[in-house]
Amino acid sequence: MNRSLASLVLSLAGISASAISFAHHSTSMFEPEKRVTLTGNVKEFQWTNPHAWIQVTVKTPDGASTDWSFECGSPNTLSRQGWKPSTLKPGDEITVVANPMKDGTSAGLMYTVALADGRMLGPGALAAP
Amino acid sequence: MNASENRGATVRVLLLAGTLMGCAPGAVAQSSERAAALPDWSGAWTRASGGFWETTPEQALEPPPPPDSPRRHPPYSPKFEAIYRDNLAHIAADRFPDPISICGTPAGWPRMLALPDAYEFVVRPEQTWLLSENGPNTVRVYTDGREHPAPEDLWATYTGNNVGHWENDTLVFHSVGLKGVGSTILARSGVVMSDKLETTTRIRLAAPDRLVVTLVLEDPEALTRPWPVAFTYTRLPAGSTVYDYACAENNRNPVTSDGRTLTLDPSGRVIDKLP
Repeated sequence: MNRSLASLVLSLAGISASAISFAHHSTSMFEPEKRVTLTGNVKEFQWTNPHAWIQVTVKTPDGASTDWSFECGSPNTLSRQGWKPSTLKPGDEITVVANPMKDGTSAGLMYTVALADGRMLGPGALAAP
Repeated sequence: MNASENRGATVRVLLLAGTLMGCAPGAVAQSSERAAALPDWSGAWTRASGGFWETTPEQALEPPPPPDSPRRHPPYSPKFEAIYRDNLAHIAADRFPDPISICGTPAGWPRMLALPDAYEFVVRPEQTWLLSENGPNTVRVYTDGREHPAPEDLWATYTGNNVGHWENDTLVFHSVGLKGVGSTILARSGVVMSDKLETTTRIRLAAPDRLVVTLVLEDPEALTRPWPVAFTYTRLPAGSTVYDYACAENNRNPVTSDGRTLTLDPSGRVIDKLP
């Protein structure tokens, strides 16, 4: 996938509320019915409670870059879904599908993460038939 | 000393130790027998389904009802119907904060039945502990024959005062002394109760790896009639580990004084576009 914001895809496909039901806080800041798809490089993977966070640097067509924050479930839940603290390392190229912030801020609620080795993780991957 | 003499000496030492610790040998044996008769709820569990909208274990296995389903609407008194409507308006305006977002207070009873992550149900003859990994939530259910404290000795807490007994393989207990609206919510859908809430809960194994919890909520201030709800839990694979949950470790979602939930970047800067 083209590593640029041009690759951002908004999908109005029905999204199960279960994908966003794990947060310890209101998820009102996220678009429950939309998803964005972004490819970039991991800047930091925060394996912390109450949520793990993936910081991703996404390059724009003009050569600039934007840092995105993707919120995940707790490390406890992630570990039972196949994640490890070492799953993501700085520099790894990944593609993230997420429910974006309503206000257009560069952040979202992680739905799936496609790793460079082809593995797919996240609640969306678990929900896939 | 031969092997038989060795075993005899060991037993005498254990009996002496038990006596020194204040445990009569007969009482130890009796307690062990009572413990052995209790059901096996060991291991880690996760909520399979259910919420504060299911009224039977069978419904708890079905997909959640739509947001406008009557099953999501408690039989509220006029006072609490008005509170609920106000909560719905705050939800629509993205201003209905979750009390647990501050990472300092428990979800409380009975909301702790509806959390993500793992659960443990530690069964002992004199009490059962209901533990949620996503916490802190520890519900202590006393089954040693005690009753609820007198009203002057009871104050509202998040997990309440819980006393009960065993009916064969079913734990039955009653809960009082719970915090209500203003301190706790039952769901982010706007459902709340008063501090007059009392619950009667039944927990049993419906299958070796399926635990069913049914409870009836009674609240003379908030409800016009008892409100039954149900949850189911499935046992996680043997050997599963339950972890701590230090919510304040990296809380990037603080709540403003007007109820808005924010998002921070890794440096703690608010990244929301505030009006």
